[in-house]
Amino acid sequence: MLEIQNLTKVFPDGTVALKDVSFRVADGEFLAIIGLSGSGKSTLLRCINRLIEPTAGAVIWNGQNITAANPSELREIRRQIGMVFQHFNLVKRSSVTTNVLTGRLGYVNPFWSLLGRFSAEDRQRARAALARVGIEDKADNRADQLSGGQQQRVGIARALMQEPKLLLADEPVASLDPVLSHSILRYLELLNQQDHITVLCSLHFLDLVHRYATRVVGLKAGELVFDGLPSELTPAKFKEVYGEEAEMVSVTPQNAS
Amino acid sequence: MPPERRPANPWLPALLSLIIPGSGQFLLRERSRGITLFLTFFALLGLVLWTKTYALLAPLALFLLWIARDAYQIARGKQPRWGAALLLIGLVLYGAATFVTEVRPVRLITGLPNVQPYLRSLLSPELFEYPTEDLIGVAPIMVPCVDPLPEPNREATVSPRVITLPCTEVGDVLTISGEGFEPNATGQVQWVDPLGSPRRATLNGEVVTFVADADGRFTATLLVPQAVPLTAQPDPGQTLTHAVRAVQAIPTGDLQPTQTLSLVIEKIGETLALAFLSTVLGVVFAVPVSFLAARNLMGANRLTLAIYYVVRTLLNIIRSIETLMWAIVFAVWVGLGPFAGTLALWFHTVAALAKLYSESIESIDPGPIEAVRATGASWAQMVIYAVLPQILPTFTSFTLYRFDINVRLSTVIGLVSDAGLGFLVIQWVRLNRFSAMATAIIAIILVVATLDFVSGWLRERIIAGRPIISRGSPPVRSALRLLLVAAFVAAFVWSWRIAQIEPMELIRGAPQGLALAREFAVPEIFTQPTTTQTISAPLPVPCGAVDAGEPADEGIALSAECGNPGDPLVITGSGLPPNRQVSVRWVLPDGAFLRVRAGCCTTTPEGTLTVETTINPVVASQEGQPAAGRVEITYEDVAGRRQLSDTVRTVFNLSILTLLMALVATTLGALFAIPLSFLAARNIMGDSPLGKTVYYGLRTIFNITRSVEPLILVLIAATWVGAGPFAGVLALALNNIPNLGKLFSESIEEIETGPVEAVMTSGANRLQTLVYAVVPQLVPPFLAFIIYQWDINIRMSTVIGFVGGGGIGQQFRVWVSLSEYAAAGTAIWAIVIMVWSMDYLSAKARERLV
Repeated sequence: MLEIQNLTKVFPDGTVALKDVSFRVADGEFLAIIGLSGSGKSTLLRCINRLIEPTAGAVIWNGQNITAANPSELREIRRQIGMVFQHFNLVKRSSVTTNVLTGRLGYVNPFWSLLGRFSAEDRQRARAALARVGIEDKADNRADQLSGGQQQRVGIARALMQEPKLLLADEPVASLDPVLSHSILRYLELLNQQDHITVLCSLHFLDLVHRYATRVVGLKAGELVFDGLPSELTPAKFKEVYGEEAEMVSVTPQNAS
Repeated sequence: MPPERRPANPWLPALLSLIIPGSGQFLLRERSRGITLFLTFFALLGLVLWTKTYALLAPLALFLLWIARDAYQIARGKQPRWGAALLLIGLVLYGAATFVTEVRPVRLITGLPNVQPYLRSLLSPELFEYPTEDLIGVAPIMVPCVDPLPEPNREATVSPRVITLPCTEVGDVLTISGEGFEPNATGQVQWVDPLGSPRRATLNGEVVTFVADADGRFTATLLVPQAVPLTAQPDPGQTLTHAVRAVQAIPTGDLQPTQTLSLVIEKIGETLALAFLSTVLGVVFAVPVSFLAARNLMGANRLTLAIYYVVRTLLNIIRSIETLMWAIVFAVWVGLGPFAGTLALWFHTVAALAKLYSESIESIDPGPIEAVRATGASWAQMVIYAVLPQILPTFTSFTLYRFDINVRLSTVIGLVSDAGLGFLVIQWVRLNRFSAMATAIIAIILVVATLDFVSGWLRERIIAGRPIISRGSPPVRSALRLLLVAAFVAAFVWSWRIAQIEPMELIRGAPQGLALAREFAVPEIFTQPTTTQTISAPLPVPCGAVDAGEPADEGIALSAECGNPGDPLVITGSGLPPNRQVSVRWVLPDGAFLRVRAGCCTTTPEGTLTVETTINPVVASQEGQPAAGRVEITYEDVAGRRQLSDTVRTVFNLSILTLLMALVATTLGALFAIPLSFLAARNIMGDSPLGKTVYYGLRTIFNITRSVEPLILVLIAATWVGAGPFAGVLALALNNIPNLGKLFSESIEEIETGPVEAVMTSGANRLQTLVYAVVPQLVPPFLAFIIYQWDINIRMSTVIGFVGGGGIGQQFRVWVSLSEYAAAGTAIWAIVIMVWSMDYLSAKARERLV
C-alpha cells in the first residue's frame, strides 16, 4: 500500500508544483494520473522515489516512510521501485544488455559493478527480461540503434531487473507514435496482472486510461481534482481536469476500437 | 564466424600469426583486424628499435603472443576482447615515448628550487616604487695583512663614514660600523674586490643588511669573502686593496611606476598594435583570396577549379607552419623587429581567415540567391541582398576569433622577433629579473583575458544579430557610430607606426628573401657521395735540370714541357666528364696550389677542355733554380649511389620525437584534466557554498593559466627541469590541463540527465551512477577533445623548441641561424607533412567517434 500524505513541492524559483496532494494506492492497482502538461504529474511520480525532494508531506510505502529515509535506506527502497520514462533515459552509447543490467545495480556488489562485471545469473536474468519484452535479438546493439518503441521496451526490461513491487511510469507513451502506445501499455498491464506489480502511470489519452487503468487521479495546477474509477471520468469531469478548451481525442482509430 | 568457414585446426592461424603478425586473422577473413595488428606490431617494433628501449621488447613479445591467441580464438569462433592488447600497446608506446622525451618526474622535485623564484615573483610583480638615491659609505681594507702595510690605493668616504680594520684575512668574520647614515633606514653591506666590482656581503650564507639607529649609526658583521680568484692570488707578502661598502637606498619624491611597469605598458601597446594591424591587413587580403578558395564559386570550369586547388593547397601549407616559424623566416628577410612579427602574423592570418571565409562562402544557402535573382535583380544587387547578409555575421565572428588568436600570438612572437610582451619576458628571464618577468606575464594574462571577454561579448551579439550600439536616440547612435569609425582609423594609424611598418624593407631584403624561398622550396632530401678526381702534368719552371716527378697522367697535355714565367701555355684535357665544372690549377713543389683562372672552367659536351694562359710567376718561387711545378685538373666525381641526406635523417628523428612529445603531453594533460573537470562542472558541484567555491575557483584558475601560451611556460619549465624535450612536454601539459579541463567540464555540464535519473532509480549509489550513466556519455566528447588537443600540441611542439623545449623547432632555429636554409626547408616540409597527416587522421578518428 502506497500512501501519499499532504505532499507539497515548491521549486526554488517559487513554482508550486504540488499543493497538499493526498491519496492512497492499494497493492495491485493500475493507477492512471491525468492532467495537463505542467500540472505536476512528473513531480508527483518523482517525489515518490525522491528523484525530487518534496517540500512537505510524506510518502509512506508498506509502512515505511520514504521521505524520511536516509541515503542507504533510500537506495534500498528505490531498487524495489521501477521507473519508466517518457524519453526512455537509456545510455545511448551503451549496449542494450548493459542498459538492462543497470537495473540490477542496487543489488550487486558495488565494486565488481564498477568494473562492468555481472554474475552469470544476472546476465541470464537480463536475457529473460529482454525476451519478455520481445527484443532478445537486440541484446548486443547499441541503444541508439533501436526504434523508439524498442527503446521503451528496453526501459521496461531495465525496470524488470529490479524485481520491483511498484512501477512508476512517467508518460511512457508520450514520445511514441500513437499506434505503439498499446504495445507498450500492454506490457505494463502484463506486469500488473501477472507479476502483481502496482503501476502508477501518467497518461495523456483518455481512451488509454479507460482501457488500462483500474483507477484514475487527476491533477490540475498541482492540486488533486479527481480521484475515482475510469468509468466515473465523464466529459464534465474531464473538462474540470483539463479546462474548458479541451476536447477528448483518441489514439485508437474509431473503426479499430 | 559461421562454423563451416572455421579451419579444422585452430592452431594453424595461431602459428601463422606468430610468424607474420596478423596473417592468421587475415586468412580467417578478419582482414582489417589482421592488417591493423600487422601495422601496429611493426610500428611498435620500429619505435622500440629506434628509441633503443630494448626492455620494451618483452611486452612487445607478449603482444605477439596475444595476436597468436587472438587468431586461435577467432578460429574457434570466439570474439576475443581487446583489453589486454590495448594495455600492452600502451605500455610499449608510452614506455618508448617517455624514454625519448626524457620525462623524468624526479627532476620536477630536484628542480623545484630553481623554479621557486619564478613562482614567488609572480606574487610580487614590480609595479610602483619610490624613486631612490643611493647613500654610499666606503672604507678600503687590505687583504691579507702584511707588515709593513702599504697605503690603500682607494679613498674612504667621510660622510657617511664606514669604520673598519685596516687589514683582514679571507675567511675572517669582520665587524664594521658606520655613521652619518640615514636614521632608521635599512641598507645593504657590500664587498668590493680589487677591480672595484661590488658583491653582496654575507655571513653564514645570509645577506648582510643593517638598520641605522636614530643617530644614523650601525654595526654589522660579515665574512671576508674570497674576492680574488685563486689563480690570480698575490704573491706572499703582497696585499691588495679591497673595500667595504654600505649602501642605503633613500626614497626621494612620490610613488611612481617602475621602469619595468612603463616598459610593460609600452609593450602592451605594441602587442595590441601588432595583433590589430595583422588582423585588419589579414582581412583585407583574405577576403579576395577566400573567393578563389570557395568551391561553389570556382567549380564552374577546369581553369577556375585548378586555381581553386592551387590556392587551397597554398593556404594549407602556410597554415600548417606555425606563426613563430614564419616570424623566424621573415626576420631573415626584413631583419629582427616588430615588422617581421607583423608580417608573420599577417601571413598566417591571411591563410587561416581565407580558409574559414571560403568555407562560410561554400555553405551559403542558394535559396535566397535564387529568390533575389527571380525578382530581376542584377548581379551586384544579388551579392548585396542575398550573399552578404548570409556571410557577414560569420565573417565578423571569424575575424574576432582570429583577433583573439593574434593577441595571444603577439604575446609570444617576441620570443623570436623582438616585439611585444614576449620579448620582455624572454629578456628578463635571461637576466634572471624574476619580478620584472612576473610583471610582464601578469600583463599577458590581463591582456588576453580582457580581450577574450570583450570579443566573446561582441561575438555573442553578432551571432544573435543584436546591434553593437543599442542605446541612445538615433542621432546619438549615429554619432557613436562615427566615433567608432574614427577610433578604428586612429587605432590603425597608431598601430602602423608602432609596428614600424617599412614596406621598403621588404624590397631591400628581397634578394635574401627570394634566396630563402628558393632554398625552402627545394628541400635537401638526397645527397650523393663524391670523390675528387685529379690528373696532373709536370711543368718545370724555368727549364732546366730538375726531377720533373711523375710523368703526365692520361687525359692532360701541356703545349710546352717547361717554360719561363710569362710564357704562353695551352693546357688541354680530354676524356673528362662532359659539361662539368672543373678546376685547373698550378701546383707548387711544396704542394700549395693556385687556380689558373677564377671560375675556371667547364668541359665541352665531348669531354675536352682547352685553357690558354701564361705561366704564372708563383710557380718559379725558388730564385734561379728550376722548380718542379705541375699543372692539374681536378673535378668532383660521383662515387656511390644517391642516399638520404643526414638532414632528412635528423628531421625524421626529430619529427617522431615531436609527435611523441605531443602524445605524452596530451596524455598527461588529459590525466590531470579529467578529475579536475568534474570539480569544475556546475551540475556536479551543485549549489552548496563549498561546491560553488570549488567551481568558481577552478574555473578562474583555468582561465588564468589558459591565457599563458605554452611558449612562455616553456621558459619556466626549462628552468625547472632543464632545457630539452621534457621541458616542452611539461609546458604543453601545463597548458593542456586547463584547456582540456575547461572543455571537459563544459561537456560534463551538457550531459543528459535522463539516464542519470534512470540509473539512480534502480537504487545505484553515486559511483555506480557515475560509471553507468555519466561516463558512457562523456567518452565520445572527451576523446574528441583529446584528439583535437593532440593536433594543437603537434603544431605547438614544432615551435616550443625555439625557447628550450626540444623537438624539431630547436633544430630549425639552429639551422636558420647557421644560414643552412635548405636544411631548415626540409624541416618545414616535414612539419607540413606531419601536420597534414595528423589533421587527416584526427578528422577520421573524430568522424568515427560521433
